[in-house]
Amino acid sequence: MCNACGNPAVPGHWTDAGAATPGDRLRARFHRVGVLNTILRPYGLTAHDDGVVPGIQLSTLFGASVIVQNLSEVWAEAERLIGRPIDPLDARYLDAG
Amino acid sequence: MQVDGVGGGGGRLRLTVLGGYLGSGKTTWLRHQLHAGSFGPHAHVIVNEAAETPVDDALLGQVTLLAGGCCCCVGQAQLIAALRRICDLRSREGAATLDRIVLETSGLADPGAIVAAIQGDPVLVNHILVGETIVAVDALHALAQLTTEPLGRRQVGAADRLILTKTDACAPAGLAALRATLALLNPGAVVTAAVLGETVVLPALPPGTTPALLPPLPDDDARGPILPTQVRVAPEIDWSAFTLWLSALLHARGDDLVRVKGVIRTPAGRLLLQTVRRVVQSPEVLPDQPDHGQDNRIVFIGRGYRPADLERSLHHFLGRSLPVPFA
Repeated sequence: MCNACGNPAVPGHWTDAGAATPGDRLRARFHRVGVLNTILRPYGLTAHDDGVVPGIQLSTLFGASVIVQNLSEVWAEAERLIGRPIDPLDARYLDAG
Repeated sequence: MQVDGVGGGGGRLRLTVLGGYLGSGKTTWLRHQLHAGSFGPHAHVIVNEAAETPVDDALLGQVTLLAGGCCCCVGQAQLIAALRRICDLRSREGAATLDRIVLETSGLADPGAIVAAIQGDPVLVNHILVGETIVAVDALHALAQLTTEPLGRRQVGAADRLILTKTDACAPAGLAALRATLALLNPGAVVTAAVLGETVVLPALPPGTTPALLPPLPDDDARGPILPTQVRVAPEIDWSAFTLWLSALLHARGDDLVRVKGVIRTPAGRLLLQTVRRVVQSPEVLPDQPDHGQDNRIVFIGRGYRPADLERSLHHFLGRSLPVPFA
């Protein structure tokens, strides 16, 4: 679209759009990996993001690990490691008190 | 570019119906055409959204908005009333101020049903001349939609003009197959293309291109109707947490979630979020404005789940011990 009738789009992966400054971006990454770990733990997976190396490191309890670039790849890789997708509409998330 | 001819309407208002499937690029195209003046200086825009939370009007400026029901079915009376009001005002104030109405339908609407309703109304038929029906066709997803969705086929069938959108992101072979398929479904329609609203020239169709084989469809889909659901994003859920949930949801349920749309407030500004199946647009930063209760409400249009489960899932998936977000 021409720049007269559009609003600017945020560069990068869409999930990274919520932070504008470098400090916010770093805090968002640490916060995100914390929440991601609470989601992944029941599936025997852990995520690691040290804020320095780009990407998120995903590991199984047996030590296999892989580095992915964004959240979309996290879920695709988790499906490969677990054998089925992690579905937020799974009954386990709907019945919890 | 003038969109369709003026005159010959006996002083009646000319109505252009803009339809197309969810996420096919209707608003993007219309926004650019309005900016470029394609509809002339005296056009009134009506936007209909099936969901109760209007989003598209934030992009278009001054419009009449019909939210809370698709105007080809449950919202039809609302549309007829709005059109009568506009005709009444025009009769009293004179025809010079208004010569055209552009109706952007919801993505769930059958434009044919809307045109039939307007032509069947005893008042409107004397005031409104139904002009062109334009249907936006998402070049990336249309073949999949036409294979499975009766509605997608009805929309294509109702068009006088088909505008292929997102052609820049589409492989030439796929685009050619789509064009051949559209020519089969609606041989009479003019086919043009636009990328982000700007018209682009389509290459000549390679000779011997075969249309995709479309299976016969029952009228009703076994997965149930496509319904809009509004999900409120609680203040303690920030962008990082929300995108964790949404990206997982799109990965697992992208085939059923035909459209997700809404505005989320973040430290980086008000972000307009839009998805079509698994494809997520880069969030646009919208101008800052006071919250009128529409932000942080996301509309999901899809099927294959109980609508109330979405909001419950959002809270439980992220865990009850959600860490306190950064200050």
